[in-house]
Amino acid sequence: MTLLRRLLAQDLAWGIFILALALGLGLQSHWALVRSGFKGELASRLDEWREQYRQAEFGEIKTVNLEQAYALHRQGQALFIDARPRSEFQELHIAGAINLTTEALQGYGVQHLSGMDRQRQIVVYCGQQNCDASLEVAELLQAQGFSQVMAFTGGFRAWDEAGYPVDIAP
Amino acid sequence: MPGMKLGTRLTSRRKDWLAGFLRLALGTAFVYAGIWKHFYPYQFTETVMAYQLLPQPLVGLTVAIVPWLEMVSGALLILGVKPRSCLLLIQAVLVVFLVILAITMLRGLNIDCGCGLFSERQVGFLAILEDMLLLALAAWLYWLEVQRLLPAR
Repeated sequence: MTLLRRLLAQDLAWGIFILALALGLGLQSHWALVRSGFKGELASRLDEWREQYRQAEFGEIKTVNLEQAYALHRQGQALFIDARPRSEFQELHIAGAINLTTEALQGYGVQHLSGMDRQRQIVVYCGQQNCDASLEVAELLQAQGFSQVMAFTGGFRAWDEAGYPVDIAP
Repeated sequence: MPGMKLGTRLTSRRKDWLAGFLRLALGTAFVYAGIWKHFYPYQFTETVMAYQLLPQPLVGLTVAIVPWLEMVSGALLILGVKPRSCLLLIQAVLVVFLVILAITMLRGLNIDCGCGLFSERQVGFLAILEDMLLLALAAWLYWLEVQRLLPAR
């Protein structure tokens, strides 16, 4: 028992040393991020970063805001695509939307869309402002020849909070 | 060992091989998870913030320390340097994460767990089960290491 206790104490001491090493390396490599956290600026830093990342990754994709998406919905011409996982789609989605995730589109989705008019307006959305699934699906659709694809980056949360029309399971 | 029967010796050797392989696998998984978090700090920050548990200063510290903790403990475990301490740290990380997953599930938050090694995964029973399996593995490996140093009965 004494040996066990001694071993555990030794292991804990080295564990604390490794933890301190990780702390030192972490502070040294991510000091700017840590400082932003202490200043309470992390959220705005993240917004800036997200904008830069999206510009670099999905610069070609046209985006629409909440009001533009609602106007398109009211006109009734555009197809709304929900890029969230099936379970979330089934819970609640924009009225009339179909569910098409990145994974599904990379699998069977292309055949699924083969008969569809490539000129049709398509609005893709995902959960909220910080998800990229809408942009990813929009990019894949654009690569399949759909020329009028837009990503609604406010996502389902913004739509739902605005009280616009929603549906439960299709 | 001289007094051991052949069958027992073979079983013991097989157990050593299995433990060695699992130690490498666990270490590699932790290094991989840490590298991803280290090189994508903003994505990791978003994941941590989505849990809505920590104030911003602690989010920043978590994002800075956790990747290095995973990389250093995983790498030392692979190399066999202070493996017991590394296994203790890994267990501590897994226990803390298990508590966070449970709280998040109870709060009903539908978020990405940030724990899927090769694909995105939502917080849920699968993530909890995976965490518990890893915890059991780390605890078993730790116990094997300790047993080796205890005098034979």
